[in-house]
Amino acid sequence: MSSSESLVATEVLQESIWSGRRHLIDTKDLTVDEAHHLIDLAGRYAQGGAAAVPLPAVHRGRAMANVFYENSTRTRSSFEIAGKMLGLNVVNLDVSSSSVAKGESFEDTGRSLVAMGFEVIVQRHSSSGTAHQLVGMIGDKVRIVNAGDGANEHPTQALLDAMTMLQFKKSLEGVKVAIIGDVTHSRVARSNLWLLKRLGADVHFCGPNTLMPSYLNKFANVHLRIEDAIKDADFVMVLRINHERQQSGLIPSIYEYSQIFRVDHARIALAKPDVKVMHPGPMNRDVEITNALANDPQYSVVERQVANGYFIRMAVLYTLFVHT
Amino acid sequence: MESKNLLLKNGIVYSANESGLISKLSDKPLDLRIQDGLIAEVGQDLKPGRDEDLLDLQGLTVLPGFTDLHAHLRDFDQSDLDDFSTSTKAAASGGFTTVVNMANTIPPRDNLNSLMDTLERIRKSACVSVLPVAAVTKGLNGAELTNMIELANAGAVAFSDDGKPIMNMAVLRRALSYVLQADSFIISHSEDSHLSGGGCMNESPASLCFGLAGIPAASEAVAVAREIEVLRLAGGRLHFTHISTAAAVALIRNAKADGLSVTADVTPHHLALRDEDMPPYDSNFKMNPPLRSNDDQQALYAGVMDGTIDAIATDHSPHTAYQKSKEFEHAPVGVMGFETAFPLVYEILVLTKRISFEQLVAMMTIIPVKILKRPVVTIAQGQIANLTIVDLDKQWTFDVRRSPSKSQNTPFHGRKLISKVALTLYKGGIVFQDTDSKLLVSSI
Repeated sequence: MSSSESLVATEVLQESIWSGRRHLIDTKDLTVDEAHHLIDLAGRYAQGGAAAVPLPAVHRGRAMANVFYENSTRTRSSFEIAGKMLGLNVVNLDVSSSSVAKGESFEDTGRSLVAMGFEVIVQRHSSSGTAHQLVGMIGDKVRIVNAGDGANEHPTQALLDAMTMLQFKKSLEGVKVAIIGDVTHSRVARSNLWLLKRLGADVHFCGPNTLMPSYLNKFANVHLRIEDAIKDADFVMVLRINHERQQSGLIPSIYEYSQIFRVDHARIALAKPDVKVMHPGPMNRDVEITNALANDPQYSVVERQVANGYFIRMAVLYTLFVHT
Repeated sequence: MESKNLLLKNGIVYSANESGLISKLSDKPLDLRIQDGLIAEVGQDLKPGRDEDLLDLQGLTVLPGFTDLHAHLRDFDQSDLDDFSTSTKAAASGGFTTVVNMANTIPPRDNLNSLMDTLERIRKSACVSVLPVAAVTKGLNGAELTNMIELANAGAVAFSDDGKPIMNMAVLRRALSYVLQADSFIISHSEDSHLSGGGCMNESPASLCFGLAGIPAASEAVAVAREIEVLRLAGGRLHFTHISTAAAVALIRNAKADGLSVTADVTPHHLALRDEDMPPYDSNFKMNPPLRSNDDQQALYAGVMDGTIDAIATDHSPHTAYQKSKEFEHAPVGVMGFETAFPLVYEILVLTKRISFEQLVAMMTIIPVKILKRPVVTIAQGQIANLTIVDLDKQWTFDVRRSPSKSQNTPFHGRKLISKVALTLYKGGIVFQDTDSKLLVSSI
């Protein structure tokens, strides 16, 4: 116990780096120091497990709610295991079969969870801004982690992506990252854009123009040809293409998408020799990324991303309890 | 409202003159005697008579009552948001004595029964004049015309599917042409609903940053462009309401130069705010058309200054706090506007010297009245006493919690304002009196 207490003491020394924010809502507002704090802490969890930086006893056993208004297996499980390994009491709310299905507002659900004594709410919602709105509603009573809101942000995904990149590069300053796919509907793309820019990376995009939001070129380089985006890239991040985009007329066909915008060995050959290929999952193999490339250990770091996600979420939960 | 006999002392009076412009009647303060709902006498040093209440205006400004070309007063199945009683009290608080009420009520005002029901409710509950608009198409479905001539004869003051655009230009052509036979006109909510898609704010760098679907400026511009061409084809009169984009201003300017019968209004909120002024996901800043860019706002000012934009209209739209607390994309569109309208445009247009005070008063009084082809009310002996008295120097902070409305959805709560409505008279009755104002009341 004494060794863990001393570790806590060293953590407290870093407290000034953390602004004291009780919530992780987006990467737009995250400082470089805060991002590095979380990534460094996640790195210690990656090396030593939960025991490396144990959650102080006063916080253990506190209740954490996973509230996912939108289906998710990966992110929800990742948060669940991260919370449990730190010693939190994690409850998954099946909101699709609960009172929400009967029309309860997300504010009422949040307030009910506060009344039940939950101390952290991890929320995913299909509407942009709902995490921000929830902070305005109940943020004084509970810690809130955004696990994805509409097309807006998915901050832990961007943090785990930056952590993954930093396992191959000392710094992201000047590192070229090509993000390929449906940016309009992607919270992963937005959270990565804001965080990568802040960390000094050179961010490039390509995808069907119908899936590129207007004004994206004010924030990053946007290419008409995937080859130009990938050329000399250090990292290629492939986004999931949703089959609904074909039904809503935003792309002519999934077939054409796979021919023109799929990341494969031939296209990746244009990147730097040590390029790494990333995907937030779940992958549509042979649609946005070839099966062969996704399986190629020389390039693909997809499973490493998943592992890092778990460590990042531990670091986030730890920080929101200890440094606020 | 019980009409009492009043003597208003010492007001600086502006009225419409013979040439249809607003001007000051006299540099000296004037007195107004109000009897039986009419202006009985205008002059200096009027002596109070028996049974007259005396109000000393102490140099406050007396204007013709404001007319709003565009409001949603709710009532019917949306009586939780507001009803004719509460919403017209809010209108009176803003100095409006005549309010044009849009047809997209629930159920919609698209037939004679609903119009008669509206008129009956107005007669029972409204404290200012409410002029109902009827729908252009049945159920506001954009397809089949309503019985427009019958509705106009029964009291519909104009026709609009406002809240929704008419997307089928053949339907608009028929409507423009047919409504001429009722000597009425169409008020256009100009939007291409396909281009707007599921958008919920201006398409801009801000919409990208918020991860919200955008409504491009072109959504308004393409609608205005094609509607102008249909007007050229069909004839008739077309009024563009809540114009929000630079492109629409340019198109309307050209249409006027071509001699077409087009008029336009702009809202105080589009003059006061830009998309970048919206706090993140604050649905009290969500309306349709959305707040636009800085360039659009500048073009609106230019349009007001050169007369392309004729009138100020509020698009007053109450919504409950609960509805507005929903996810931003699901929160309803619209903001309240009556009580902040005059102070905002006075500050933005007059104090900045973009237009004269007289021109602003015209944009809120005689110009909308002329667009409606209704008789111009002046401040003179024998005229109806619809009067708005404003304190142009008053500095105050808007507190929506003091509004008589049932709703509180405004982007201007807590905003510091210059100038305030002190007193509103409708048919000689006091329908609003500012409790903070320095008016002195005494019964003789």
